[in-house]
Formats: sequence, C-alpha cells, structure tokens
Amino acid sequence: MTIIKKIILTTLLAATPMMAQVKEKIEVPYVAFPVKMGKGFETVQANCLMCHSFGYIINQGRQSRAFWKGKIQKMIVHFKAPITDKDAKIIENYLFTHYGNGKEK
Amino acid sequence: MERRDFFKKAAVTAGAAALGTSALEAGVTHQPNNNRKIMDIAFPEKRPLITYSDRPPLLETPQNVFTCALTPNDQFFVRWHMPDIPTYIDMDKFTISVNGMVKKELKISLKELKEDYEQVEVTAVLQCGGNSRSAFTPTAGGIQWGSGAMGCAQWKGVRLRDILDRAGVKKGAEWLAVQGSEKAAYYETPNFIRELHLDELDDHVIIAYQMNGEDLPYLNGFPVRLVVPGVYSDSWIKMIDNITVSDKYQNLFFMDHAYVVPDNECECETPEKLFPKTKPIYRMNVKSVIGYPLNGAKLTLKSQAVIRGVAFDGGAGIKDVLISLDGGKTWDKSLLDSGKLGRYAYRTFRYSFRPDKLGKLEIMAKAINKLGEEQPLSKDIKWNHGGYKYNGIDVITVEVV
Repeated sequence: MTIIKKIILTTLLAATPMMAQVKEKIEVPYVAFPVKMGKGFETVQANCLMCHSFGYIINQGRQSRAFWKGKIQKMIVHFKAPITDKDAKIIENYLFTHYGNGKEK
Repeated sequence: MERRDFFKKAAVTAGAAALGTSALEAGVTHQPNNNRKIMDIAFPEKRPLITYSDRPPLLETPQNVFTCALTPNDQFFVRWHMPDIPTYIDMDKFTISVNGMVKKELKISLKELKEDYEQVEVTAVLQCGGNSRSAFTPTAGGIQWGSGAMGCAQWKGVRLRDILDRAGVKKGAEWLAVQGSEKAAYYETPNFIRELHLDELDDHVIIAYQMNGEDLPYLNGFPVRLVVPGVYSDSWIKMIDNITVSDKYQNLFFMDHAYVVPDNECECETPEKLFPKTKPIYRMNVKSVIGYPLNGAKLTLKSQAVIRGVAFDGGAGIKDVLISLDGGKTWDKSLLDSGKLGRYAYRTFRYSFRPDKLGKLEIMAKAINKLGEEQPLSKDIKWNHGGYKYNGIDVITVEVV
C-alpha cells in the first residue's frame, strides 16, 4: 500500500512542472494577427512594431480618424517614438482606412 | 500540424476576437463582449486564453472561470505595457533595491525576503481598470476587454511597511515610487512606475512572491510584484526591482495621463466634451460576473438549474448578490460562500431555480456591498474616454428548451 502511494506521489510530482521557476529562458510565442494589407502598411510595420504587436492595434476596436491621430501623437509625445510627420500621416490614413469607423471625429 | 498552419489557424481565431461589429445604440453602455474565442496558442505557464497581443502580452481569462473563488494561475489574466520584459532572471543575483530618503539603503534578495521578514498572506482581487471596456459606446480607447481582465488569488509575501521600517524612512519623506523591470524599446519612454503615498500603506499592501501557493507565474510578475488589495491593477507593479522613497511626487505618464477618469462626481464625460480635469483610477467599485451558465447556453424546462458567479468590491466586502429572471422587476437573494477568504477576495454566489417557460431567458446578477453601494444597469453607466471602471449589472441570455 505504502509503495503504491509512493509511486503515485512520485508520478504526480514528476507530472507537475515546476514552471514558475524562471530557470530557463522563457519564450513568449509569436502570434500572427490577421492584419490588413494596403497602402502605408510598410510604414506601420517600420514604426509601430518596434514597441507592440498588431494585436495591440486591431483590438482597439473601430475608431475615428481623430482617435487614431491621437494615438499616434501619444506614441510620439508620451512614448517618445521617433515617428516623422510624414510617416504619422501615412499611418493615420492606413489605420483609418482599415480600422476606422468612418467618422472623422 | 505544420507550424505555418498553426499560425494561420491562430490568426483566424485572433481575427474573430478583434473586430466584432455591433449595431448597438450609440452612446449607451451595454454588456461587455464576453463571447470571444480562446486562442489555440498557449503562453508560458498558461493554458490557451483569449489573446489580444503577444508583445506586450495581453491575455484574458475566459468567463467560465468566474465560478471559482480563486482563479487558477494558468488562467489568470495578463497585462503588460512594455515590449521588453526580461525573460531570464538570475535568482542568485536578483535583488529589490530600496533607496532614496532612507537611513539605510537595502538590496533585498528573494532569500532574505522569505527568511528575514514576517511572512503574510492576503487573498485579493486583481482587476484591470479597463476590464469590460468593450461595454462602452462609442468605443472607448484601449484594448476591448470582455470581463476577464480580472482574477482572485491568495498572495504571500512581506508587508511593504516592514521593508520600509527596516530601511528607515527619513523625516519629510512622503512618496515611494515602485518600479518594475519591463523596459521600453526607446530609452526616453517613461518607465512603468507607481507612486504610493506613505499613508496608503496599510498592512495589506505587500510585496508578493507567491500566488495560490506557487511562485508567481512569469507573466504575472515573477519573481515579486506589488499587491494593493482593493485597488485597480495598474498599481500592482510586476517584477519589482526598485523602490525609491522621496519627498516629491513625480508626474507619471501611466498614473497621471493614462489610467485616469474625469475628476467629477459621475466620473463621466462625452466624446464631444471631454472633462478637463482627471484623477487616477484607484479603489475598485462593486461588481459581479456570472460564470455559469454562459450566454447562449440551453437549459431544460423544469430542470434544476443553477447560476454561479463571483462578486467583489474595493474592500468594504460584499453583502448580497441579487438575481433577477424577469428583466429586473424582481430580485432574489443568491447564496453566498462563507466569506472566509476576506473582504478583498471574490465572494462566490449560487442561485438555484427551475426554468418554467420555454424560449429566451435573461439572467441578471447585481452585487451590493456592505456600504450599500450596488451595481447600476449598464445603460445607466456614463461614458469616459478611457473606458474605465465599468461595473454594470451582469446579464446573460440562455434558452430554455
């Protein structure tokens, strides 16, 4: 009986991964979010992906042009992203075209 | 499955989560979107969860978990702000630095934290201020969370006050800035820091290294995080490596610009006229979520059915959870658990009934706390630009067959 118990216990312990110990390098998976292709996509890729995934963009919901413009400004002003004025406009157009709600404001 | 197919499939699932179109009335707050699919990619130490972003990781707990008083670690929601989160921590070298206006600067190793201080435990709900944001119309800025940006765990660690006492806070000090190790892509980007006033530190504010009896999962802030019971999760700094005591308050992006609501009584505004003055979100309001049954479930006529869920508030404690099966005309008390996990924890509730009419049935749950504060109907919740603090009466629709 004791032996059986011991075996069960050992098996259980072996099956329970001690995962919370960050002994090994952790690998966060890459997720391919279904992003829309279109004019300005390369500019979005070059500027936005430095800091966050496409998931971060598409999960904001459909938004107005003013919202997307404001988000880009937030990245520049608060997060100090080096986005040029020209690129900011391209990104705004891309976001509003593909993730806009049709409203300017 | 080929790797490529795996990602393709995941992408389709993610897409379904992304742009749920709705024909809901503009300007009226509604039920949050709780029907999102779980992605089939699992993050480290996590089961597959609702996934909004991989970098930084943003994972939501599925609604059916909200029948449990304690949220399992591998289903606990995840929310980071910066792209660069250390993926390896050398536990032989890791320390928490305590500096600034202290008599003695400290560098506390995990071993010292566990052995040299009194060990305490608190069970508390961790909830993102933007939890349920998808309820707001027009769409509020930010990730469109359902109701799963929350969880409840038993946290074990050391009182922050005990650590400060060991360091000796100098006269005139008022603030402490707690900082985690997540880093931005650009050097100039503001760090994710939380400023706490020394008066905020009661015995429940701890630096935790354990969650539900295990080491903190990597994605929940391994090796140590701040636990501030009753307060929204932007205060619960993850992967803490530095605490600085000061006499001055720093103006911080996340506290003073991001996680804020209008500083008026209703904490509300309109998209056309944003309220000029804001305040940081802080204490959580009273809320409940139905974890069972789920939207669209089928219940058998005359069968013994049960409704289960969780309720919580900012620490006053839950008094009652009421259930309505007639669109809010009449309310009946549900059965609450003993409450032995304490006033910061989930109170689980259950309510038994026999469905007596065929067709669609709306189930509503409303929590009331010990201060008499109760959840409003979603439609009575006014908009704020960040989509924070949604706490509408939870409504699910099932079909009686």
